[in-house]
Amino acid sequence: MKKVSLAQMKANQKGKVIELLGGAGLQNKLMNMGVYNGKEVTKLSHIGLRGPVVIKSGRSILALGHGIATKVIIEVE
Amino acid sequence: MKKIYLIGNPNVGKSVVFSRLTGVQVISSNYPGTTVEISKGYLKLGEERIEVVDLPGTYSLEPTSRSEEVAVSLLKEYPKHEIVVINILDSTNLERNLFLTLQLIEEGFPVVVCLNMCDDAGHRGVHIDIEKLEKILNTPAIPTCAVTGVGIKLLIERLKEAAPASRNKLSNEELWKEIGRIIEQVQRLEHRHHSFRELLEDASVRSLSGPLIATGVIYVSFKIVRFIGELIINKITDPIFSNIYQPLLERLTLHWQEKGFWFHLLIGDLINGKIDFKQSLGVLTTAPYIEFGMVLPYVISFYFILNILEDIGYLPRLAILLDNVLHRLGLHGYAIIPVLLGFGCNVPGILSTRVLESKRERFIASTIISIGVPCVPLQAMIFGLLGKFGGFYVSGVYMVLFSLVLILGLILNHTLTGYSPEFFLEIPPYRFPPLFMLLKKLYFRIKGFLIEAVPIVLLGVMFINILLYFKLFDIVTGIFAPIIKGVFGLPKEAIVALAIGFLRKDVAVGMLMPLGLSAKQLFIAATLLAISFPCIATFIVLWKELGMKSVIKSTLIMITISIIVGATLNFLILH
Repeated sequence: MKKVSLAQMKANQKGKVIELLGGAGLQNKLMNMGVYNGKEVTKLSHIGLRGPVVIKSGRSILALGHGIATKVIIEVE
Repeated sequence: MKKIYLIGNPNVGKSVVFSRLTGVQVISSNYPGTTVEISKGYLKLGEERIEVVDLPGTYSLEPTSRSEEVAVSLLKEYPKHEIVVINILDSTNLERNLFLTLQLIEEGFPVVVCLNMCDDAGHRGVHIDIEKLEKILNTPAIPTCAVTGVGIKLLIERLKEAAPASRNKLSNEELWKEIGRIIEQVQRLEHRHHSFRELLEDASVRSLSGPLIATGVIYVSFKIVRFIGELIINKITDPIFSNIYQPLLERLTLHWQEKGFWFHLLIGDLINGKIDFKQSLGVLTTAPYIEFGMVLPYVISFYFILNILEDIGYLPRLAILLDNVLHRLGLHGYAIIPVLLGFGCNVPGILSTRVLESKRERFIASTIISIGVPCVPLQAMIFGLLGKFGGFYVSGVYMVLFSLVLILGLILNHTLTGYSPEFFLEIPPYRFPPLFMLLKKLYFRIKGFLIEAVPIVLLGVMFINILLYFKLFDIVTGIFAPIIKGVFGLPKEAIVALAIGFLRKDVAVGMLMPLGLSAKQLFIAATLLAISFPCIATFIVLWKELGMKSVIKSTLIMITISIIVGATLNFLILH
């Protein structure tokens, strides 16, 4: 088990959300869209060097800016 | 029941349901945030007429953006027992949608659950046990497919069953756990292989295949817009104007002996004794030719292609790919949607900057749109006029505008205080809208264009003709002639066209037609028209959206840039 941020995860890797960093506003936003502790997500891609990260969470596909992606901590195998 | 509110996550089809309930046509697209203005309409329920309000999409009752705030505050305007809330859900993504549903029920709103896009859910192998869901939620739940109208009648019939259901308040995390339990009971997923559609959805956001697909899509779209536009002009509008309308006008004016004020106003000048739609400048000659013969064909082809891209759901994917570039301009990827809409007409483009969160972003996006994004009518006229000198000049205009946008964005991003919020967006699945929906939307947009453009064009040309007839322009042209000639290298009559640009850009370029300008002069004039003052409609929207102070700031930027660019082009290009 390893802890990485969404930005560090590799494409096609699966993992479980274990911590949301950042302020309450961001945490709420993530929570409202279904990214919460314990949720399983799959990273689909990472555009460019510091570009947005695309993930699949449940049946939704979400795109997160690079900065937000560094604040979502994932436990991967 | 005094009011019905439609609420739901972004991009679940609220506006389509709204159109079905009220008969009021509103634009719907396949991306979150299409609805930035609140639409209202009426539903006839027996003898009563009840107001229906279409709210902007929201993920929860704790708003995290401006449009969500609007939605939530409107919902609380009336006492709960006087309203009914239709909560619209995307059946293909029940889990995420239920978060808002449970919050609504917890808060004690009388809710009717509308499971929209049930046909798409079936295609994707998602099966929902509706009866069980009704029991768990303790509210009516109706499967619908608003695009085709399935289930809408039942939805209306069951509105009266809406009543507050009691539910304990849970924390957000408990709420998601509860939703997990509900999903296990009511949803069955058919296991199936990835469909071609899903492969395509994936490929368009991958870091390698994504940009390739985007380049292809943009190139093909541009080609098709030109192809359809030219097809309509060559096969339909030009034959109508030259074979039917011109002989008709000539017969009507045959016995018109005295060519005085009215002749000048309606027909304009005769070129070699004949009516020339491009040069006569009459209310019945050049005005309709500009609007129907040069601009309308491209408006049709542009919106046809934009509608397809919008409804399939490609635009948010383009937004992801462009996020990196747009970040340097102080925007994030989603700003590409207002920009693309701005290419149709700057007004809806600037209105849709409301999808951007901060005022700073909205200022940058609006300024960029009004300076660097030419609308379809202007582009059509540029093609029509500059096209004959070769693609070099036409692409030249775009190159100048594109560089301007980049430079301006970089400067604004560095000088304005504040920061650019980050991208966070749900990417909708690809959907293939039925042809009748595409045509309906096209009809709606063309109608909107005609209603807005035709009166202004006719009145504008009439106004210009009156001023020309009484030689009132001469005073103005006299004053500005040195600047126009010395700095921009244009004949002094061009000032009239530049001034008319404030009214409408297409008419303004039309005013250049009889002047017999050289390629270089046309190129400079067309570029100046694109950059300088937005037309009056855009100006009013800018004012409303940004406030007076920002508009003045934006206008000063515009004037400065116009002068710099006009002068630079004049001195750089030799012939």
